[in-house]
Amino acid sequence: MLRFWPLRRAVQAQVPLTSLVRQSSTPAAVPDKLEVFIDGKPVYVEPGTTVLQACAAGGVEIPRFCYHDRLSIAGNCRMCLVEVEKSPKPIASCAMPVMKGMRVKTDSPVSRKAREGVMEFLLVNHPLDCPICDQGGECDLQDQSMVFGSDRSRFTDVAFTGKRAVEDKNVGPLVKTIMTRCIHCTRCIRFASEVAGVDDLGTTGRGNDMQVGTYVEKMFKSELSGNVIDLCPVGALTSKPYAFTARPWETKKIESIDVMDAIGSNIVVSMRTNEVMRIIPRLNEDVNEEWISDKTRFAYDGLKRQRLTTPFVRGQDGNLVATDWENAFIAVAEKLNEVSGEQVAAVAGGLADAESLVALKDFLNRMGSEALCTEEIFPMDGAGTDLRSNYLLNTGISGVEEADVLLLIGTNPRYEAPIFNARIRKSWVHNELQVGLLGSPVDLSYEYDHLGESASELEKLASGSHPFSQLLSSAKKPMIVVGSAILQRSDGAALHAAASQLAQNLRAKSGCGEDWKVLNVLHRVASQVAALDIGYKAGVDYIRQNPPKVLYLLGADEEAITKQDLPKDTFIIYQGHHGDRGALMADVIFPGAAYTEKDVTYVNTEGRAQLTRQAVTPPGLARNDWKIVRALSEIMGMPLPYDKIQDVRRRLGEVSPNLGRHGDVEEANYFKQAQQLAQLVKSSPSNEPLSPPIQSLKDFYMTDAISRASQTMAKCVQAATEAEKSKY
Amino acid sequence: MSKYLEKFSRMRTIIADNGGLINSIKTIYRTDELKSGRLVGEDGFGNKYYENKSYFMGRSRWVDYSLAVNLDYDASQVPPEWHRWLHYIADEPPTEAQLVKRKWMINHSENPTGTDKIYVPYSTVKPKVQAWSPPSK
Repeated sequence: MLRFWPLRRAVQAQVPLTSLVRQSSTPAAVPDKLEVFIDGKPVYVEPGTTVLQACAAGGVEIPRFCYHDRLSIAGNCRMCLVEVEKSPKPIASCAMPVMKGMRVKTDSPVSRKAREGVMEFLLVNHPLDCPICDQGGECDLQDQSMVFGSDRSRFTDVAFTGKRAVEDKNVGPLVKTIMTRCIHCTRCIRFASEVAGVDDLGTTGRGNDMQVGTYVEKMFKSELSGNVIDLCPVGALTSKPYAFTARPWETKKIESIDVMDAIGSNIVVSMRTNEVMRIIPRLNEDVNEEWISDKTRFAYDGLKRQRLTTPFVRGQDGNLVATDWENAFIAVAEKLNEVSGEQVAAVAGGLADAESLVALKDFLNRMGSEALCTEEIFPMDGAGTDLRSNYLLNTGISGVEEADVLLLIGTNPRYEAPIFNARIRKSWVHNELQVGLLGSPVDLSYEYDHLGESASELEKLASGSHPFSQLLSSAKKPMIVVGSAILQRSDGAALHAAASQLAQNLRAKSGCGEDWKVLNVLHRVASQVAALDIGYKAGVDYIRQNPPKVLYLLGADEEAITKQDLPKDTFIIYQGHHGDRGALMADVIFPGAAYTEKDVTYVNTEGRAQLTRQAVTPPGLARNDWKIVRALSEIMGMPLPYDKIQDVRRRLGEVSPNLGRHGDVEEANYFKQAQQLAQLVKSSPSNEPLSPPIQSLKDFYMTDAISRASQTMAKCVQAATEAEKSKY
Repeated sequence: MSKYLEKFSRMRTIIADNGGLINSIKTIYRTDELKSGRLVGEDGFGNKYYENKSYFMGRSRWVDYSLAVNLDYDASQVPPEWHRWLHYIADEPPTEAQLVKRKWMINHSENPTGTDKIYVPYSTVKPKVQAWSPPSK
């Protein structure tokens, strides 16, 4: 089938296109912009922009160490000094707002001499250990000293007094500090207090004795701590697990997607000799900006441990025996031939990709089974998962920046989706977002109104008798985020219905219009939205009620269904990449590929389909997951009608077109209908406290098969546990 | 004419030296050439070493491999003490100038490539991926 989706997208974008045409027909008007001259070239910028930004608009990159787009301006490194006409001294361009008619000379002798001088001062107190420094090759100081520094040194240590030396600090198992290299740009301090929201870092001393640190020796307790490694312009803060393992020029960078949470952070996987060396963030303004969580960044060593590298079949003595693909397939095919189609069921875990999900669904449907479930529960009453608006983070991750009142229900976004929490915090800092939390009082890194712990408060909010309701109803762009964890309770449907009702009421009161979405669900696992889009049943209740003879686990490791729930003779097939809980109960194990080892689609919690890219080959006999299902279907004599990944993607597009549109958010809009259907839910929420499962940092690190296999994450859990006991 | 007679008589001598026509044909089949020369010595493996200075240097010393190996002869079957004579590294064969046998010297063995004694290198590096091993009951 020839697909015209780009054409369709153009049709959808008709309105903006026409407005674009209208705009271009009017003469270019620059009413309230200031004219400044960058190296004699006129540039029009908004009032209030800094000289550095104006230079960037004029195409001139000013060297800098302390300035960072997403952090407040410090102006303490002095590297961005430029000459401005009629100014007696060079000015720090990052901190100076533009003035009308300003003439900036970025490459004049004065500017160049100023930079050279600053660079000289920085290097006087910087060790010459570039050959053994992990920042080597990606160091701002290295690069800028080559471009802007002096070509010879005046540094002579005649008295052998040595350079400034600072003791290293131990800030936990993730960030390695070599504080002698620090140039005091304070980016890490500003990141910690502004973005991460933990005031753990700061400076002590002044002048030559200034030190960046944690005041007392303690762990840098943040789920975003790894980002200071990227922020540090020199090698003062580097990655502890990555220390001395690879150089940036010898690794291949593969742009991929993270699956540790449902956010789908964009990442770059560094690969050398078929080994993942490290994971760093990739810029995507709509998803993760340029931050990633520590689990995303450091759990990669779990990809090298506890891996399933060969198929296993359970022998006569009850032990799993390593075998080859042929034997494993034959063992499964013999069993599948014995039972009828409806006695086969499947459970998809949190790391399953859309391609293998659709292949498995097609295969089981051909066998005659409809029992395909996801491990994560989602209430199926009312509209259930039939309407996408019910289970998406409809407003979008970046939508938080537009909201003015946010109501969190039974979720702890700080540990369930740290990147989303960073957005909330950003909006709380810059847009004066009002946050209310219904559920356990947890540390979200920003202030919020605690509205109570039980669902009865939700009814009060809906009726308007709660103190927070006034604020909610006065909101212009309200937003409700329901955690997926509390929807897993037995009263999940009632909670969802109540939230949906409240959202619909707020929409009516706020007058926000149809394009603003109020109700949001924050998922915790990467596969859930894709699985629901494809048509999996949410939750394993169906399987509990209709015990199958053969159960196919697609990376299901959370023990949603255990051997106790099943008849004794149930034959369990596990397909996945780690020897975790699922593999232990299996009779046959098919080794699959992890997310760095396949080109597959994941859909994040806002409904954005994104593509991972293969960085390394699957270990041993492990294979790409959809291919395993395809091969099994061939053995069973009912081959699935796709041989290539393109064919699978086409099938994905047939099932749900959004799964083929990578990078785009497919919005969902049937809130009203969903709410009407939700009124059919007759049960009411129980009064149990709405407590999210992850409440403290130590529970954040190990949540899936990959992070459970990771030694780095184990060290983090240990460090976080100890840090909890510490009095600091 | 006498030139051809000389060649013919030399051929007869060589054939006679190799033990008659049948044996000569066998030798040609086995070694692809027919030469006659002075037997200099024999090593422990049964290889015979010959010299005939009327051939030019490079062809004047040769080895006739042991009949035990038949056609599976190989240059690595020549032990090092004969190797030095055969390749004109030394003037005297080991029969005349015995080499000192040190206690750390091992006995000569031929190259095992292509046999089941072949050396197969193996990695001593830790595997990059640690595989899961199922717990046994």
